[in-house]
Amino acid sequence: MSESQVSTTAESLDRVSDAGDGRATSPSPARRRPRRRKASWRERVEISLLSGPAIIIFLTFVILPVGMAAYYGFFDWHGYGPATDFVGLRNYKVILSDPEFRAAVRHNAEIVVLSLLIQGPIAVLLALLLNRKMRGRSLIRVLVFAPWVVSEVIAGTGWSLMLPVQGAVNALLTKMQIFGEVKIDWLGNPDLALWTLMGILTWKYIGFAVILLMAGLQNIPEELSEAAGVDGASYWQIQRHITLPLLGPTIRIWAFLSIIGALQLFDLVYIIWGQYVAGVAGTSTMATYMVLNGRNAGNYGYGNAVAVVIFLISLIVALGYQRFVLRRDMVGALTEGA
Amino acid sequence: MSVNHRNVRRAAVAALGAGVLLSTAACGSSSSNSSANGPVTMTLWTNATTGPGTTFFKDTIQSFEKANPNVTIKMQVVQNEDLDGKLQTALQAGQGTAPDIFLQRGGGKEAAMVQAGQLADISDSLSAETKANVSPGSFAQAQVDGKTYAMPVDLLPGGFWYSKDLFKQAGIAKPPTTLAELEADNTKLKGIGVSPIAVGGKDAWPAAHWYYWFALRECSQQTLDATAQSLKFDDPCWTKAGNDLLAFEKTSPFQPGFLNTSAQQGAGSSAGLVANHKAAMELMGAWDPGVIGSLTPNKKPLPDLGFFPMVQVPGGQGDPQAIMGGSDGYSCSAWAPQPACSDFLNYLVTTPVQENYYKAFDVVPVNKAAQAVVKEPYLRDLMKATNKAPYVSTWLDTLYGLNVGNALNTSVVNLLAGKGSVQGIIDAVNNASAKG
Repeated sequence: MSESQVSTTAESLDRVSDAGDGRATSPSPARRRPRRRKASWRERVEISLLSGPAIIIFLTFVILPVGMAAYYGFFDWHGYGPATDFVGLRNYKVILSDPEFRAAVRHNAEIVVLSLLIQGPIAVLLALLLNRKMRGRSLIRVLVFAPWVVSEVIAGTGWSLMLPVQGAVNALLTKMQIFGEVKIDWLGNPDLALWTLMGILTWKYIGFAVILLMAGLQNIPEELSEAAGVDGASYWQIQRHITLPLLGPTIRIWAFLSIIGALQLFDLVYIIWGQYVAGVAGTSTMATYMVLNGRNAGNYGYGNAVAVVIFLISLIVALGYQRFVLRRDMVGALTEGA
Repeated sequence: MSVNHRNVRRAAVAALGAGVLLSTAACGSSSSNSSANGPVTMTLWTNATTGPGTTFFKDTIQSFEKANPNVTIKMQVVQNEDLDGKLQTALQAGQGTAPDIFLQRGGGKEAAMVQAGQLADISDSLSAETKANVSPGSFAQAQVDGKTYAMPVDLLPGGFWYSKDLFKQAGIAKPPTTLAELEADNTKLKGIGVSPIAVGGKDAWPAAHWYYWFALRECSQQTLDATAQSLKFDDPCWTKAGNDLLAFEKTSPFQPGFLNTSAQQGAGSSAGLVANHKAAMELMGAWDPGVIGSLTPNKKPLPDLGFFPMVQVPGGQGDPQAIMGGSDGYSCSAWAPQPACSDFLNYLVTTPVQENYYKAFDVVPVNKAAQAVVKEPYLRDLMKATNKAPYVSTWLDTLYGLNVGNALNTSVVNLLAGKGSVQGIIDAVNNASAKG
């Protein structure tokens, strides 16, 4: 398996494209290449028939738009007629020096970190809880998963109707008659808004984390905990020293998806705060900044440049995470294709 | 109104990419005008999603088709917020995809469409009847460099829409005319437990409108027009307008949590607060009666709705009776079959059609003869105020284009949230050009 150690993403992508060419796949193309047998004509037709549509869609709707965004990002273009006003790197200079964009990046970073810190432990505890046989398990499962199934737009609209100062949440708290008349500005107060957002994000996405972790728990052989139990380990010791380490790959994959999701967060903020107020409330994200300064301002060239910056930031984070965190889990999973 | 657009500089480096795209734009000049007598099919895009509005267009198209048997018009209703994006894409695609007739918002957007060769110049297609019924002033907003590219269909000036019952309850004998009176009335309204003024800060533009109105009072007409060319807020009146707004906001005239209130969606929106007597008034364009009416508990027009113009601000350079507003119009795309398309636009402003338009949308029709049938007291007050106004300025965000309007939206929200400054508004506008 030593050759599998070199599993940077670039190389694993190479292998994927090797497979797409219809040649035999192997962990080490360099060594195996001379011995590769030619795929038969039939095999080639079969492979191109099966993979063709997916590749065409991927090229048309992913690669081509990225290329076009990069192209338009060099223009002062308002979306009418052809882009002719070439401005070189000016858009990028403005983006990187705009305090609003920096604030948005900072908010994204806060959301990434807080999502991991808040959702991670809660999800692990919930998964452990729901993995045990007990009364009301199905009910709790439904309660945890339901928000994840609801569309972002619906969830966002619901919260945006409930959370204003004169909304249902404050009315409920007032009716409880514990805190007196509650007039908390959940959305507008900059000290509170980010935490409101984190609360909503946790409520919305915890179900997904729990699903992943519960699937991961299914793969942990029960014999291990039974053996530990026989050796006198307590429940928490078993979880700490057996379950959690074996759950590691699942947790790391979930963290990856959570990070990417947090970097691209758009819909909930856009609907609950609106892109103008998100800036002052401290919940603006790179994506809301893009829509505000691109589409809303009619500066399509600038907006495309922002899209490219978001793409690069996400790409760097994703590749870095794969390289340094996911690598050990990827070994054997992605590289031993054949 | 001529919108000066920055010259499109053609950098040599761009030539390659432009060449590819020019081929698309070149379609614009290709002749697609069908023969005058052959059968003609046109598409019409409108944002009239409400029942009476949709019915109006259906009926109007039907009667037009009856009078012009060789013409078929297909109507497509597009949600208001989606319209601009869809339209821009469709116009960019050109012939075959672009709608032939569509809602035109005017201002910077219209100028950009003209520059890209996407609109038909209808200056010479206006019928004598149209010229007799629609005043030249109404056309001004639909013109770019003196040529007419859209048919205005209504007049949408702005002002305060208020609940007469709440004013009476609070002991306010007549609507305020000065800022000081308005502030005093706000105190009385708070006394009866309602929010004096509703504003939809979440959508930002209703908040920005407050700044525009103060600017209309503080800045002279010359300054407003000159700024449309320079797009710089150098004149001190822009700062004074910001200070006015800041001082006014300090008196807490708006409903609590106004930055998280949307303008038109649901009972909790600013229009909804007025419709349900939770707030006494709203500073808005003349589309507001229709919006408020759709948000009352029984979905009927608010029976005690009244109108009064923007109050006077002492010491301003602007005329104390000046008014601000806009109008909806309809344009023909460059590819639309002529003369069928401009015939339809002329038909839209004929007196009977305009009377129906007023009934369907509850707004002042652009046709002077049709204005006679307007009977709602608030619309009559609005027409009176408009006729008294020495000049009617276009909404500043329309006048100064999307880019500056967007910067104003953001910076006014910042100001009202207590995070920005008046200087922040000036800087945001002056810096907006860097992004586009």
